[in-house]
Amino acid sequence: MNKMIELLIHQWKEKIRSPFWQKSIWLNIVLGILGTYLMMNVLVIGYFADVILKKIFTDTDVVESFARILFYYFLIDLIFRFVAQQIPTLSIQPYLTLPIPKNKLLHYPLIKSVSSFINVLALLLILPFFVKVICSTYPPLFCLTWIITVLSLIATNNFVNFSLKKYFSKRPLLIMLLLAIVGLVIYLDVNKFISFSLVFSADLLNIAKLPILVLIPMMIVILSYYIGYNLLKKNAYIEDLQISQRNNSANLSFLSQYGEIGNLMSTEIKMILRNKRPKSLLFFSPIFLAYGFIFYKGPDIDNYMILIFMGFFLTAAFGVIYGQYSFSWESSYFDSYIANKISPFNYVKSKYLLFAVTSVTCFIITLPYALISYKIAFINAAMLLYNIGISSIMLLLFCTYNTSRIDLGRSQFMNYQGTGFTQFVSIIPVLGFPITVYGVFNYFNMPQYSIYVLGLIGFIAIVFNKYLLQVVERQFVKRKYKMALGFRQI
Amino acid sequence: MIQINNLKKAYGKKVVLSIDELTINEHELVGIVGNNGAGKTTMLSLILDLIEPSRGSVKSKDQLVSKVDDWKNYTGSYLNEGFLIPFLTPLEFLEFIGKLHGLNRTDVLTFINENAVFYAEDITSKKYIRELSAGNKNKVGILASMLCSPEILILDEPFSNLDPSSQSWLKSKLKKLNDEGVTIMISSHDLKQVTDVCSRILLIENGIIVKDKNTNAETLDELESYFNIN
Repeated sequence: MNKMIELLIHQWKEKIRSPFWQKSIWLNIVLGILGTYLMMNVLVIGYFADVILKKIFTDTDVVESFARILFYYFLIDLIFRFVAQQIPTLSIQPYLTLPIPKNKLLHYPLIKSVSSFINVLALLLILPFFVKVICSTYPPLFCLTWIITVLSLIATNNFVNFSLKKYFSKRPLLIMLLLAIVGLVIYLDVNKFISFSLVFSADLLNIAKLPILVLIPMMIVILSYYIGYNLLKKNAYIEDLQISQRNNSANLSFLSQYGEIGNLMSTEIKMILRNKRPKSLLFFSPIFLAYGFIFYKGPDIDNYMILIFMGFFLTAAFGVIYGQYSFSWESSYFDSYIANKISPFNYVKSKYLLFAVTSVTCFIITLPYALISYKIAFINAAMLLYNIGISSIMLLLFCTYNTSRIDLGRSQFMNYQGTGFTQFVSIIPVLGFPITVYGVFNYFNMPQYSIYVLGLIGFIAIVFNKYLLQVVERQFVKRKYKMALGFRQI
Repeated sequence: MIQINNLKKAYGKKVVLSIDELTINEHELVGIVGNNGAGKTTMLSLILDLIEPSRGSVKSKDQLVSKVDDWKNYTGSYLNEGFLIPFLTPLEFLEFIGKLHGLNRTDVLTFINENAVFYAEDITSKKYIRELSAGNKNKVGILASMLCSPEILILDEPFSNLDPSSQSWLKSKLKKLNDEGVTIMISSHDLKQVTDVCSRILLIENGIIVKDKNTNAETLDELESYFNIN
């Protein structure tokens, strides 16, 4: 156990001595405040859950309705964990030749994962309800088995996520399938086709009433832990397998005909597809395209501000989120780009074109929203022009102030490496300008004309993009030394 | 070919390099030696316009390297892993560099075949560069620097992490390239390699060139004496 504590201390030191922690104190403070605020909110929801549930489900026992909510919670929690929960990854290589039993090194990340912030949130949600409602209503043995079962489900989600991340992150299509299955289960339950939540709620109560059955969820926890442990143990073998099975896909040879720009775009696309961080961005960005189902309904369909915002977002979601880290993506080999025969103009233009291609792709994918209202298609087309013409240039200009290195091998989610002041500030003019244009025209009761203006501005910018890109190029050349210096800091 | 004038690099108050004047002539094979932190890599980085000088200038063929990019057409270089693109296979990386200079896949494969003794691994392997050993990474970087028949070749510690036969090959290759007219600058901690290969030695200490002389039979002894090596 002493060795385990030593490993915990080492990981803490690794975290606080990382360049990101030391260079971005203010960001960590902001995140800390947000995290605390989130915890307080969850605690309050947990405490008043009985009141909330009584108001929503007036004719259902509050314990049963809480259990049914837990069903949805655990499903969504599993997906959320996969997306957001970081697996503790103390690099074990330096320890492999030391007199530390290997199984201790393998147990470490699993045990450490229990202290995840997401688990803390789960406890803050469930414990207040347990103390306030369950303990005051049911006998002690019932309460004990109920809480053990629920804690077992939290732990199971934790360890199953571990296995999912280790196994499925190399198979993103399976992740999409998992998401689809979860979505289907929720859909079937909400629409009362199959009441999974009712079954879950009944089972939870049955286990609590018959204590011996608590062994089932406990054994599931042990099984999920064991599966995670074995996956870790086999990790090296799995990686070897990955190399030999690799088919080095992404045949982008067609881009060669476009000269240096095509060469650079081809390399950047390979970078996206072959590295965890940009790849996870790519595979989860389609989720943003589904936001239309939330916003394109009811009175919002006539609200031009919502329509402009959605048009901006749907046609540039991936472009903006990915584009905010332009140049930083190449941080680990930036020296290669500036020492080799690569024209700065072509480098900048290749990024602009990639932004344009992704924006057009998003626009085409979201065209079916026009079936909800024809206005959507026109507005999105105008915002597409604006994004390609203006947003891309603005982002590239701001990105010349990126100086933080990005480790391409780590997942994007809850990973703030490379994030700095630039990412927060850049979105203000990029999104603020169209909103301002809308505001001006709305003041004169002509909100619809803002669409034409934004589309026209975008179109003009596309026509003159060569000159705008030259501005970016000059800025890049001016800033390249500072960028290179920042990117070299590991 | 390369002219350095009044060049200085400082980080805050700490001056890491200060060279009043230095000229690297065409067809020279220059070795740069010095202790760790002496300023060898800083000097090469300034020549390659990777860092901004605090003062002074570097010219290549009478053109400022910081203002005009023409030098990239005829300069090959490899300083460290930061020059490699980690998620490309060695062949993809060489093709990428080759395309920048107008070479096609066939040209690249021909080059690799001509130098197959050096990079003995299967160049068509699906391993990414980040998965290679340190030595093989070095080899890929060195090959990439030579791929486009440069007029100037700049290498930082090229012999490090190389096995003995590869070191021997590289020594011969550098001499051959120099005989063909390539101007070469290498830095190294291996005094014997450097004195065997180079026609001129620059010794840097605390950012200053303390010795600049043509190599002769006594150079190795002088350097070993300077570094207190028995």
